[in-house]
Amino acid sequence: MKPHINEDYCKGCHLCIFVCPMKVYEKGSRISKKGAILPEVSKPEKCPNYKKKVDEKLTCEMCVLTCPDQAINFLEG
Amino acid sequence: MREFLLGNEACVKGAILAGCRFYAGYPITPSTEIAEAMARELPKVGGTFIQMEDEIASISACIGASWAGVRAMSATSGPGFSLMQEGIGYAVMTETPVVLVNCMRGGPSTGQPTKPAQGDVYQAKYGSHGDYEIIALSPASVGEMFMLTIEAFNLAEQYRVPVMLLADGEIAHMRETVEVPEKINIINRKLASPGIVKEVWKPDEDGIVPFPVFGKGHRVYISGTTSDIYGYPSTVKPEVHEAVVKRICDKIRKNAEKIWRYECYKPEADKIIFAYGLPSRTALAVARDTDRAGVFRPITLWPFPEKPFGEIVAGKDVYVLEMNYGKMLYEVERVAYKHGAKSVSFLPKLGGAIHTIKEVRKFVGVD
Amino acid sequence: MLSMQEFFRMDRWPNSYCPGCGNGTVMNCLYRALRDVVDMDKLVMVGGIGCSARIDGYVFADAIHTTHGRAIAFATGIKLGNPELDVIVVGGDGDIGAIGGNHLINAARRNMDILVLCVNNWIYGMTGGQVSPATPHTGISTTTPEGNQEYSFEFVKLVAECGANYAARWSIAHPFQLIDAIKTAHQKKGFRYVEALSICPTGYGRNNKLAEPAQLFEYLKSKTYILKQNGTHGSGIAVNLDGKFALGEFANRDRESYLESLKKQEV
Repeated sequence: MKPHINEDYCKGCHLCIFVCPMKVYEKGSRISKKGAILPEVSKPEKCPNYKKKVDEKLTCEMCVLTCPDQAINFLEG
Repeated sequence: MREFLLGNEACVKGAILAGCRFYAGYPITPSTEIAEAMARELPKVGGTFIQMEDEIASISACIGASWAGVRAMSATSGPGFSLMQEGIGYAVMTETPVVLVNCMRGGPSTGQPTKPAQGDVYQAKYGSHGDYEIIALSPASVGEMFMLTIEAFNLAEQYRVPVMLLADGEIAHMRETVEVPEKINIINRKLASPGIVKEVWKPDEDGIVPFPVFGKGHRVYISGTTSDIYGYPSTVKPEVHEAVVKRICDKIRKNAEKIWRYECYKPEADKIIFAYGLPSRTALAVARDTDRAGVFRPITLWPFPEKPFGEIVAGKDVYVLEMNYGKMLYEVERVAYKHGAKSVSFLPKLGGAIHTIKEVRKFVGVD
Repeated sequence: MLSMQEFFRMDRWPNSYCPGCGNGTVMNCLYRALRDVVDMDKLVMVGGIGCSARIDGYVFADAIHTTHGRAIAFATGIKLGNPELDVIVVGGDGDIGAIGGNHLINAARRNMDILVLCVNNWIYGMTGGQVSPATPHTGISTTTPEGNQEYSFEFVKLVAECGANYAARWSIAHPFQLIDAIKTAHQKKGFRYVEALSICPTGYGRNNKLAEPAQLFEYLKSKTYILKQNGTHGSGIAVNLDGKFALGEFANRDRESYLESLKKQEV
């Protein structure tokens, strides 16, 4: 699984980049329709959930739990 | 069954008969006996009494209990009534049925805690900020403390509005015989249909929005902020706020004729004495002894019974008695002159002094 | 287990909070704590005025957004009106601790059967960043432009001392413990108070050179430490003198709750 960022919800606060213990995220260069500088999932393979299948319990959820906009979801990938 | 009751106790008797099962209040002279009687009587009928830390907490808890589906009441006097104004505005905005008793005493400020007055009658209507309407009743006897409390609950439930019972300190503390009926007519609030309520503020044809009691699965969001019909904050478009103001005001204004309660005694007389509460007893005593004076006694101070009063004053001299320095006087002047009254005179009584029959006869000119 | 759609009013997303606002994180923790145990038809969210109080409108349950500071008094009436209801108060440090202070301490003393979730972001955020009783000493705000000369309240200690059955403080940097605290509180009777130290980058961060959410988040985390079992923490009073925030359970009792004592009286 890979983290997926909902571009309608993300406000570009970048807390996910900060709290991720494995440095999966990075400040991206794309700007969403709402004007937020989107984070980029630059190292998905470093995420402890990478080898998990969809609907399996996540090993680490720091980004999901922290995201103030409920913009992060783990999806197939 | 005939009972010899204290005004405040009669109020409690009426409230409990009317189905009141929650009281949150704070002691203040001359209303304290209401809290004390509620503390004794409510648990006996499965109700809940709580003395809150202040009057703001009291009105807040009453509104909360009303949303939990329970008839709620509080009683206070001037200083506490002032504290409650924000809460009253909240009850009006959220169309919450709640009954508030104000045993009026000498004001402003701490004033005269143990003396009666009628100084808060405008505050009842205009005390909170913004545009709104409430219903206010004025009892003139212990019997009316009993009956009008029941009326207050019925009106509050029917119109989803806070109803004030504006007694004065004397009526609160006097004792008279009351005929207490076994059963009385109770009007319940119109409830929302089962299920999730999407249009939280959509009124029915009668202008009243069905009430979504908490805990029934309606999943409603209630707020004091100007909201759209779904209950969500919508504070920028003028038409949204206009719709809110009109909804909360029109349900009273358009139903005013059904809400008015008043007493007309010898209205054909040339002189009409306008009085409510304690002074109305003096007015009626004067009018009983002469054909030259009649009495118009409003029982609903608000909405002001404009039509029935206006109909009897053309060409007449109107005499206003109040225990304040001029309050309903201005409403009387407005309506009386609009309907062609000849004159309006005013005899105020301040400091807890009471209008005597002798001086009212002299004032009205029938001695 | 309730889905996000069943717990939140997802039709109100994206939420109205500023980028990096801790309220969103608190909402995540509230959801995780309640999704397995709450009856959404009995839940009543009660909020006062302020950004944190607006969490009441994001939960898909009956909710009442009250006057400023009075949520706890409303909640008291709601719970006593129908004791079957699951009443949760949500609000900020100003709403609950300043204007609402009297209701907070009396409800705690009464051990009223309600759960209070206080989101403490050290500031009055909604109105633009004025000082609150929780603003740290020397903190800059729009009404303390030279730095706050006052010292802040340790609400969690105050509430613990007032006899609440549960008083705990965590932060948005400790989401797992915060979730557990809310879960524990939800199961108990009486007055339960969970404080979540949070961030307001717009209202507090910007005025104190911590404008980036991650900056303020890091700063907050650096000021917290976890209470040791039986350890003493900070000053012995409910005032913060050293700028550090102890996290953990400050009270976990089973004193007779208000409803329990009412029941005893009935008998």
